[in-house]
Amino acid sequence: MDSLQPARAKPYRSSLFLDAVRRLLRDKLAIIGLVIMIVFLLTALLAPVLAPYDPIAQTLVDRRQPPSSQYLLGTDDLGRDMLSRIIFGTRKSLQVGVVSVSLAIAVGAILGALSGYLGGWFDTLFMRLMDIVLAFPALLLAIAIVTILGPGLLNMLYAIGIVSIPAYARIVRASVLTVKEQDYVLASRALGARPVRILFRQILPNCLTPLIVQGTLGIGTAILDAAGLSFLGLGAQPPTPEWGAMLGQGRYAVFSAPHIVLFPGIAIMLTVLGFNLLGDGLRDALDPKLRI
Amino acid sequence: MTRYIIRRLFLIIPVIIGISIVTFGMLRLIPGDPAQVMLGEHATEEAMEALREQMGLNEPLVMQYVHYMGDLLRGDLGRSIQTNRPVLEEIATRFPATFELALGAMAFATFFGVLFGIIAAYRHNSLADMGIMLVALIGVSMPIFWLGLIFMYVFGFKLQWLPPSGRLTVGIELLTMPQAWGMGESGEGAWRAFLDFMSGFYVLDALLTANWTALWDVVKHLIMPSVALGSIPMAIIARMTRSSLLEVLSEDYIRTARAKGLKERAVLAAHAMRNALLPIITVVGLQMGFLLGGAILTETIFSWPGLGRLVVNRILSRDYPAVQGSVIVIAMVFVLVNLVVDISYAYLDPRIRYD
Repeated sequence: MDSLQPARAKPYRSSLFLDAVRRLLRDKLAIIGLVIMIVFLLTALLAPVLAPYDPIAQTLVDRRQPPSSQYLLGTDDLGRDMLSRIIFGTRKSLQVGVVSVSLAIAVGAILGALSGYLGGWFDTLFMRLMDIVLAFPALLLAIAIVTILGPGLLNMLYAIGIVSIPAYARIVRASVLTVKEQDYVLASRALGARPVRILFRQILPNCLTPLIVQGTLGIGTAILDAAGLSFLGLGAQPPTPEWGAMLGQGRYAVFSAPHIVLFPGIAIMLTVLGFNLLGDGLRDALDPKLRI
Repeated sequence: MTRYIIRRLFLIIPVIIGISIVTFGMLRLIPGDPAQVMLGEHATEEAMEALREQMGLNEPLVMQYVHYMGDLLRGDLGRSIQTNRPVLEEIATRFPATFELALGAMAFATFFGVLFGIIAAYRHNSLADMGIMLVALIGVSMPIFWLGLIFMYVFGFKLQWLPPSGRLTVGIELLTMPQAWGMGESGEGAWRAFLDFMSGFYVLDALLTANWTALWDVVKHLIMPSVALGSIPMAIIARMTRSSLLEVLSEDYIRTARAKGLKERAVLAAHAMRNALLPIITVVGLQMGFLLGGAILTETIFSWPGLGRLVVNRILSRDYPAVQGSVIVIAMVFVLVNLVVDISYAYLDPRIRYD
């Protein structure tokens, strides 16, 4: 009798999303990435509660102490507790990573969409501009931008954001070019829909998948770039607890107090690994070719 | 093929102009008076005015750019504020060190990346495959400057297997090529300049002068920085090799080759790798940009006397002409490397030429 019942159609949007979520949850490595990300997010949010000491309080008598029961990860060159600095450093790293990528996606998506939709001289000009940005090694261009703006966390954030724009602009432009000539878009135009509406309601949703994947992976890259710039003294300035800056300041003590260098590096590696695992998992989960 | 090369060369021109505009703008976009920023707070008005005259900062912007381009085309990158030496001279003495480091890192990354990728592909879904991919994933997530510091501590300090810094041990003599070939202080202009430049490549120098002690010393100094710098590219190349080879190994022509009775080594070399090579070469070429940028960090840790270290030191001392010159040279090298990669890609895959 059941087979004679009319089939109830599932709502299209929710089953696609649930499909992707189900595939993601089956991927063990992606789960590990998600867990790492959540741990770091919680650490960043609860930093004042979790940190045993003030991250910028100096206790010079306890300089370069190895890990002990008093200082779980030891102290740095100025007697500051490493564990507290690493916990508070989570905030800076996630801040720079998420904000710079969001900035890059926002600017890149808009410009890429316009470039793909309008075509013509605007598209040519914009793509040449992106080629010029990509002509520089990313870190070098970020260094050049920070040189102009001056060292500091905010300027480093802008620099990393600017350097990341071409990747997202290209993704969105490619999607726009593919979708622009589809029948449903032409139908909308024939019905008199304004370009802005077409862009936001029909074209941009098609770019979401690669943007989400690239964005997640991009946060990991941004955190590495930020650590590199701070290591060189161009990013976060003392006494700000930022992992790259901690490595930069601690590198002269690597032979006498290697723990100063070891733990911030592990923190960077685990965070970036988490985003990479999650990004890879999202790429597989959202890949339409795997949808059966 | 020639038409493709000419087309690619034409496409480079706007990029080169764009690079020159960006590096030109670097100095002019600094908030405040560039002369004051470069000379510091205690600089006298006369000194600042002299610097403005020397750098042409008083002229209209368009004229400044015209002079800048003219100087660039003549190879004049200005003078360093810190040392008062021509920037091109300072770059020329340091560039071989950076390029040697980048080549060493690229050689390490390509050799081991392709090797591990092949092993992972052939032992697909085994423990070896998963192990290699996990190590690759961790490798891609590690900051190279941190890896360099760990290497320094373990191999340079604890085990004392490798020297922790520099390019050559103090006390080991390395004859330059002009010296070894008996040119003394003489020698004709361009050829002499070329030999002097090439003598910055220590491995080449040691090889051509048959100085085996120096060669071993130079290689020992090159190992740690090259491995640290090449770790991320190696991981990326391994992953790309594995996925590219897996795709190719499932193709019909591989099955045919095996059915013909070819040994697996021949299948790999003659059929599989040839077709898998294209995406791998793209990735290898793309990594060159990472190596040129990453060399800045590696050189800082290992006190490698290269261009990257020059950039960092001169940024901190506000010697902007030197920074500007270094940025433009590195960017140009990157553009040229990408051009070579594109052309070799078109050579290997005829379909690209007719795009």
